Amino acid sequence: MSSRRSDTIEQGAAGAPLCAGFEPRLTAFVCNWCTYTGADLAGTSRLHMASNVRIIRLPCTGRIDPLFVIKAFERGADGVIVSGCHPADCHYTSGNYHARRRFAVFHDLMEFVGVDPRRITFSWVSASEGAKWRDVVNEAVANVRALGPFDAYRALAPEDEAPEDGAPEPAGEAVPTGAARSAS
Amino acid sequence: MSIPPIFLTESTLRALAADLLGAGTQVIAPVAVEVRTSPSASASAACRHPGAAPVEIEYRVLGDAAGLDLGRRLPVLSLKQFFLPAHEALCRWRQRGTTVQVEAVPTEFAPQVVLAAKPCDSAALAVVDKVMNWDYADELWNGRRAATTIINLACPVIDESCFCTAVGASPDCTKGADALLTPVAGGYLLEATTEKGWAFLAAHAERLKSDAGKGGEEPLGHQAADERAAARARAAANLEIDAASVRAWIDSHFEDPLLAALAVRCNGCGACTSVCPTCHCFDIVDEEEGVGRGTRRRCWDTCQAPTFTLHASGHNPRDDQNSRYRQRINHKFAIYPLKFGEVLCTGCGRCTRVCHAGQDLVEILAAIDVVARRPSTTTPGAPDTEAAS
Amino acid sequence: MSELRDIARAILADGRARVVIGWEDARRGARPVFATDPDDADKLIFDARCVHNLVTYLNPRRDNVAELGKIALVVKGCDAKAVAGLLREAQLGRDDVVLIGVRCGGVLEASDLGQPLALTPENVAPRCHECDVREPNLVDYLVGDPQPDPPRPAMTIDERIAALESRPLEERWAFWTEQFSKCVRCYACRQVCPLCICERCVAEKTRPQWIEPSSHARGNMSWNITRALHLAGRCVGCGECERFCPVGIPLSLMNRKLQQIVAERYGYVVSDDPEKPAPIGDYRLDDRQEFIK
Repeated sequence: MSSRRSDTIEQGAAGAPLCAGFEPRLTAFVCNWCTYTGADLAGTSRLHMASNVRIIRLPCTGRIDPLFVIKAFERGADGVIVSGCHPADCHYTSGNYHARRRFAVFHDLMEFVGVDPRRITFSWVSASEGAKWRDVVNEAVANVRALGPFDAYRALAPEDEAPEDGAPEPAGEAVPTGAARSAS
Repeated sequence: MSIPPIFLTESTLRALAADLLGAGTQVIAPVAVEVRTSPSASASAACRHPGAAPVEIEYRVLGDAAGLDLGRRLPVLSLKQFFLPAHEALCRWRQRGTTVQVEAVPTEFAPQVVLAAKPCDSAALAVVDKVMNWDYADELWNGRRAATTIINLACPVIDESCFCTAVGASPDCTKGADALLTPVAGGYLLEATTEKGWAFLAAHAERLKSDAGKGGEEPLGHQAADERAAARARAAANLEIDAASVRAWIDSHFEDPLLAALAVRCNGCGACTSVCPTCHCFDIVDEEEGVGRGTRRRCWDTCQAPTFTLHASGHNPRDDQNSRYRQRINHKFAIYPLKFGEVLCTGCGRCTRVCHAGQDLVEILAAIDVVARRPSTTTPGAPDTEAAS
Repeated sequence: MSELRDIARAILADGRARVVIGWEDARRGARPVFATDPDDADKLIFDARCVHNLVTYLNPRRDNVAELGKIALVVKGCDAKAVAGLLREAQLGRDDVVLIGVRCGGVLEASDLGQPLALTPENVAPRCHECDVREPNLVDYLVGDPQPDPPRPAMTIDERIAALESRPLEERWAFWTEQFSKCVRCYACRQVCPLCICERCVAEKTRPQWIEPSSHARGNMSWNITRALHLAGRCVGCGECERFCPVGIPLSLMNRKLQQIVAERYGYVVSDDPEKPAPIGDYRLDDRQEFIK
């Protein structure tokens, strides 16, 4: 696994710090009917876009709990994308209307708490908007790359936590599990 | 071994703290902390209630000797957090293929010193030692206890909610501690009460000789004894109970309306248990922190929480606040004494001060004491004691 | 005071309610009292120390209060808004409770005083300044004399929020992470809140475990944000959560910020009219979405 952090930090043209070699990790929570299909269309259309985004499919944006976003940050995401059907096009009629209010409150609160709003991107992307999905992804990745790794969230980790993957093997007894399948 | 008390001035006491810090020893002591601090003055103003006390006293790891607060106010939280932290790793796991590696946590700790501890907080540690070594020796608790030397500072009694003398402690007791500082004219008298305490005095003999002979004319021993007796009297004036008859009454009056209806105003918020020096219940959680890796932690829990006794079946034997609060009184003043010979309370009064719903342990204990001492139960609606037992 | 006691006595005597929940004077200041006997009505007081929002005792999970029988509750105007919240969410029927409203001129921040103090900018509860229900609505009885306006606090909650918002993001983050690091996860904030009524709180969900239960900074951030979000549009600003917090986290700043957000975006102001729908759970086709690409 390549290093996600660099020893050098360069200034970008706009004065924003650029971490050379830093590739941000983004998680995207998208609705099945519109954005997921739109992302699929972007893929089948062979549109070029940043590959930093891991997509998690949900039936509807109305299912998205702000806790999903918080959990993504806890687990190492540098940025998050939340995307679904345009208002009036929700497969379940009103899921995205409820989501819109929930996201607005969440967005404003996170900014109040001190999280840069460019780390969380909200969008409406329909099933036919493969190009828009490409643009949303590229812009989100560029924003987060400019902001750098979300070290501030990582710094909340307790001192006694197990280190991330890539760290040396912990000392300790290896106990065989009953599990037949491999972890990775 | 009998060593006469050592006189030291405040500056020598601070120099002693500086010696410890200079040697790399962790020192825990009461420290004045600015309430609701912030890096920014205006954001700080955002959180300060104008006119409210700008500082609070808390036990903290001492950064420098000047920070040691000797004002004898009561720290917000007790010493418990340094022996049973609010959250503590028990082990870490990492799954690799079909094996799981479990990494144990260290159970030995670097020596540390607590300076100017409240006697009620140290006494609480001795009380909790019993359950921590009952059917299982808790290595983390014991490891921290073994590594720590505790020097109490005799207490003047904070206010009307202190009742240490009613529950087997006192403002000058050394239960659970290793030495005691008593304020006298011009400084303090320091005396050790355990092997660890004497070893501490010996290790710092040079520093502690600094003020020999500077004590002044009046015999300091008498002054110290008077100060401590006066404090004990103040505490006793707040509450006096016959702990044995209280215990017996609680044990035989489980359904008594006096006990059963104690908690009608209690919110089950658990603030009392978090500030209590003797409450020690914890939950164990496995927190997955990544794919196939995580940490098993224990964290403070409270018997006042609705799900504290929720069974996997869905049954909850204590599913209303009255039964949960009764349990608190029962555990502290009947069950624990019956099992371990001491009340699970040292009378610090924090629970009463922090309860904004008005639950008042002094009032509750006084009420139980009154009915406990009556020859027969006269509480309306309760069964007659003779008939019940 | 005698007006309040007379009404309470009469209600208990003729059985309109089995318990009157109000405030009494005790060893450590004002506190809630549960008067079940007409003679207990003499314990009832109302003064500036009566800060407690007694609506928390209407929480349907409080079996030990419900078993006392039909409740008559003494409420200030701000408290009545919490009753409206419960009615709005069908946790209560209006006929399930008798409400005795008291005219209020503001309360102190602290209840644990031997005597009530005159209100000053330093000791007044910050929320009282903006109160629009000094004469509570929604009540069955209204007692007390009209009160003078409470003093303006030295710094209002809105001013404190503005001070915080004038700081850059990094400083706000440092501020909140420091505040949340004090949290010991006692859940006093949740237990005392009249609108925290969920039978099982999301914080106790373990399969999967969304909110880490340990009181480290990361778990605390998740809990405190979730608590605030779940109260968006529901919090009445009574300040009990902050008052009960044993470690002094300024929760009123978070709660008030959320009130500002729903007011600014959806024109919603906390109301004691249960017919007015709450903003979250409701929607309009033309809701602002300037933050959505």
